[in-house]
Amino acid sequence: MRRLVLLALVATAVLLGPVACTRRVGPHPGQLELGMVTDIGGLGDKSFNDSAYRGLLAARKSLGAYIQVLQSRSAADYQPNLIALSSGHFNMVYAIGFLMSRDLDDVAKGNPQQHYAIVDAVVDEPNVLSVTFKEQDGSFLAGALAAMVSKTHRIAFMGGQDIPLLRKFEAGYIAGAREIDPSIHVDVKYIGSFEDVAAGKEIAGVLYNSGDDIIYAAAGKAGLGVMDEVKNHRHDFVIGVDSNQDSLVPGKVLTSMVKRVDVAVFDVARAIQLHQPLQGHLELGLKDGAISLTNFAYTKHEIGKANLARLAAIKRAIIDGRIVPPDTREALSTFKTVPL
Amino acid sequence: MTLALLIGVVWLTFVKATPMIYAALGGTLSERSGVINIGLEGMMTAGAFSAAVATYYTGQPLFGLLIGIIGGAIVGWLLGFLATRFKVDQIVAGTGLNILCLGGAAYGLMLLFNQPGASPQVHSMGENYRYLVWLAPVAAVGMQWFLSATPWGLRIRACGENPKAVAAAGLNPLALRVMAVTMSGAFAGFAGAFLSVGELNLYSDGMTAGRGFIALAAIIFGRWNPLGAFAACLLFGLLQALQIQLQGHISWLPTDVFEALPYVAALIALVGAAGRKAAPVADGVPY
Repeated sequence: MRRLVLLALVATAVLLGPVACTRRVGPHPGQLELGMVTDIGGLGDKSFNDSAYRGLLAARKSLGAYIQVLQSRSAADYQPNLIALSSGHFNMVYAIGFLMSRDLDDVAKGNPQQHYAIVDAVVDEPNVLSVTFKEQDGSFLAGALAAMVSKTHRIAFMGGQDIPLLRKFEAGYIAGAREIDPSIHVDVKYIGSFEDVAAGKEIAGVLYNSGDDIIYAAAGKAGLGVMDEVKNHRHDFVIGVDSNQDSLVPGKVLTSMVKRVDVAVFDVARAIQLHQPLQGHLELGLKDGAISLTNFAYTKHEIGKANLARLAAIKRAIIDGRIVPPDTREALSTFKTVPL
Repeated sequence: MTLALLIGVVWLTFVKATPMIYAALGGTLSERSGVINIGLEGMMTAGAFSAAVATYYTGQPLFGLLIGIIGGAIVGWLLGFLATRFKVDQIVAGTGLNILCLGGAAYGLMLLFNQPGASPQVHSMGENYRYLVWLAPVAAVGMQWFLSATPWGLRIRACGENPKAVAAAGLNPLALRVMAVTMSGAFAGFAGAFLSVGELNLYSDGMTAGRGFIALAAIIFGRWNPLGAFAACLLFGLLQALQIQLQGHISWLPTDVFEALPYVAALIALVGAAGRKAAPVADGVPY
């Protein structure tokens, strides 16, 4: 299926023609220069790539950086785009998304003088900075919130595919729920797809009808099916993921667990500006502000002040290191709730 | 509690089966006329996309359904045209159309909404999509009647068995095939529209998620009979509904095993069905 989509996008790319937009006014000497290659989601995806771009814009505004973005219309654009920015001008070239990890590995080997940063994947090259997120931190908060709000003492986790990245969400969520309510029942279902929106909706229906009143939907586009199903269940809620989905169904999305790619992009740039460039593998979490819950714009009333205060206390405990949310099922099985 | 669970599984079986049923009915029609329709998935995509777009601009999901049917029919006609006028390999043409539809819809999203991945939310049929679920068995019976008891149905079947005989009887087998494949596309388009504006409220890239291919398996398992295909789709729907229920209840089994269950069952079913009654004699053979 994925191959088909990729092929289709290649066909689309041919129609669109080369759209790598290069508006080069030229940087001043000594100016911080930042390049970025988007993945096929491209600018305008209201998610990952747009978030990264916001970080770049912030770097231009407050660090006075010169920025250049190349958009990838297909997977075949990754290498050419990365190479195009590898001329040595740029202090840092960002590769956005794990889809690019193999291509970046190749390009980084061929351009050992150029510095790169990849988001959401680990590329083990000396000139590549890998930035990943502690999704388990935010998921822990999401689970704690769900356990506070649940009236049935049954909540659910719904994942796209059963892969290690998604298990970070799963493990953190379950641990967070147990922190609040040790006897809570958490159903775990995987759709087997990030694209099958209908299956997402159908599984959500099954979960809500079985008595789960909150679903944490870490399923990409398939999660949109949950957003549709929750409208049919008056007392139930959903928790969104990745971007702020709170306004999709106002009042029914308790919160969204947001990955601030923009924060990561900006922090990397600022470190260069301060002549303390980051290296190796950077794992960002609550402490760095790179993982957070949204501000409950539509659901403050449902949650209540007392619960918001408890949530803030848990957040502090994670930042202080008193709570270490588990990131695998194995770590979850040995996880002990921490009295606050 | 157990009764509620049972009703839940039965309902989910029908909901899961419905888009596959419509696509499989269309596919049966096409194959009985002698054209292998590997493009069902693409026709579903075309239907889902055009239905969502029409509903976005008019706010009328029923109008969207109609446009979805037309969208699928256009792609169906294209396959029929390629298969008859140019006698191209039907598998290759169908595969090409699948890719074209996926890419075309992805491009359309950028063009119309300047937004990759998924369309904005549109008005959906809400609870009324139930009627489309209950329409599926009626459509299956209707298709069975059409193919076995009406003159047009018999002519279409004759095209799939012996197009020369059809020509000798003074009819144009190529025109009949184009008509059958176009109708096939209409059914698949309806199946796609069921997903985008019936059950859901948006178009999203890849949302048909292989249902068109499962429908193809159902056609073969159902031995090229509409009611057989209907039963096969229900079986696949039941297996998918069961795998959702079972997931997480046997914790030592990896999730992937459950997810694979319906597909493994489909394979076993196909192997079991192989070698018995064969496909229409002229299925896939250009005339």
